[in-house]
Amino acid sequence: MSRLTRATQIGSALIRTSLLTAMQYRSDLAFDAFAGLLRTIATSAPLLLVFQRDQTIAGWTLPEAAWVMSLYLLMQGILGGLVEPNLGEVVESVRSGNFDLVLMKPADAQLLVSVRTVAPSHIWDVLASILLAGWAVSQGGAPTPVNALVAFGLLICGLASMYALWLMAISLSFWFVRVDNLRFLLWSAADAGRWPIQVFSGWARTVLTFVIPVALLTSFPAMALRGQWDLSALATAAGVAVTFVVASRLAWTRALASYTSASS
Amino acid sequence: MIHVRDLKKIYKVPVKQPGVWASVRSLFDREYREVRAVDGITFDIAAGERVGFLGPNGAGKTTTLKMMTGLLHPTSGEVSVSGFTPKHRDDAFLRTVTLVMGQKQQLLWDLPPTETFALHRALYDLDLRAWKESLDELVELLGLAAFMDQPARNLSLGQRMRCELAAALLHRPKILFLDEPTIGLDVEAQVIVRAFVSAYHARHGATLLLTSHDMDDVAAMVDRVLLIDQGVIRFDGSLPELARRFGSGRRLVVRDAHADFSSIGLTRAGETWEVTVDASDINARLSAVLARSPAAEVTVSDPPLEDVLRKAFGESRPAAAP
Repeated sequence: MSRLTRATQIGSALIRTSLLTAMQYRSDLAFDAFAGLLRTIATSAPLLLVFQRDQTIAGWTLPEAAWVMSLYLLMQGILGGLVEPNLGEVVESVRSGNFDLVLMKPADAQLLVSVRTVAPSHIWDVLASILLAGWAVSQGGAPTPVNALVAFGLLICGLASMYALWLMAISLSFWFVRVDNLRFLLWSAADAGRWPIQVFSGWARTVLTFVIPVALLTSFPAMALRGQWDLSALATAAGVAVTFVVASRLAWTRALASYTSASS
Repeated sequence: MIHVRDLKKIYKVPVKQPGVWASVRSLFDREYREVRAVDGITFDIAAGERVGFLGPNGAGKTTTLKMMTGLLHPTSGEVSVSGFTPKHRDDAFLRTVTLVMGQKQQLLWDLPPTETFALHRALYDLDLRAWKESLDELVELLGLAAFMDQPARNLSLGQRMRCELAAALLHRPKILFLDEPTIGLDVEAQVIVRAFVSAYHARHGATLLLTSHDMDDVAAMVDRVLLIDQGVIRFDGSLPELARRFGSGRRLVVRDAHADFSSIGLTRAGETWEVTVDASDINARLSAVLARSPAAEVTVSDPPLEDVLRKAFGESRPAAAP
């Protein structure tokens, strides 16, 4: 069995049990679904408010900016639904020593901690992302297949980079027991990704591309859909993604080596 | 099967003086001291052996166990378990072993244990037939049928522990690491756990490594004892050898409510009379008892394990510096 097949098998089993757990409490699930819907609306609403006053912002029309928002919602759905809830879980299990039992499983510990818990309410983000993308297509015409392909490649680079950033944050919990605040910091910084990168000044663009590379996931693919891409942008995105993924794997491996468990 | 050579685990822990000023100073200039949790231990364990790691709190038992399972990376020394280096966490190694911790749980808290068992099937990549066969055996041996479809949070501690054991053994491991498996359980649940572990060992010839503070666990589940104190091994041998080495003699128990054995040094304990004497004296004392009451029910045994260990821990510690 290939590593990918095995990872898919384990990932789907974990997601299945997470969903079963989420469905165990009906009232919690209903409340989370309602809160999730409000969060999705609150995330997208500022875009419409801004465009009520101006026709364009930083050279982007509403349908074009809707692509950025659509991609941001997709990131919020994937990272918020699959990756971010696990940060809190890992921090707690490292603190309590229950992480011992994760390490005893014959599976990649990184995979086990990455999809152990899911937050189903983030499905609204994904649905809103699809709706918004559909509306943007209806307003501005569909992107060419090449542009769509490049945008998809950039999206994968961005997702990989942001996941790696989260994994590095998880790794820190092995050395610093209280890293909860890092979750809020990361979300606050990633929040900037919902606006086209041209809105920001030079240094902020650098940060959003190379430090907290949320622009790789939102603005870069949205620009590619408009045909605004070149090979250097692709190479930059791939370079950032590879750097982040390698660094996060190193951080994770070092974190495991320095795991001290907890006294029993 | 298991080879451990000069194994050490040394932690650096911060030392802080009390008070606000000392706290502020420690932000900039922190002092550390070394804690030698495991300090150069060497031993071998053959396949199928049942070994108990005994020692007071903080002796280094669990740290040793965790290095043998790969959870902790040794500071120095070598560990080989079934030909693997545990810290590398090879899949094949992790399929060979299991770890049961009395104070930690792997059951999915909000779901019935059956869901944990199903998840473990995916994690260990067990084919359906092998998984079902193993599950059926465990359900029968541990008597899980009545409650395995209730959420884990609604189970009693004893029921949860039985399910924990099933989850830990679904993949039929060859080496069992049990870290205080009966802690907090009531007497009935303790008996079930001990009987089950012994039955699993007998059926599958598994190697058993146990840490426990419960001497009944030790007496029921292990044949060999490694006495660890202050990170070093103070004794390695069988339970009878341990009793001979640290026990002060043999224990004579006479059940006879009518006779009086006080004149030959026995003391009354309810229905019985008891005395612990030096091994060389036991025959003379036995003759004296039978001379007074030829029909008395007499038992000669090692002294209680608690007494032996109390003495062992006392003797094993080096004399304090004056």
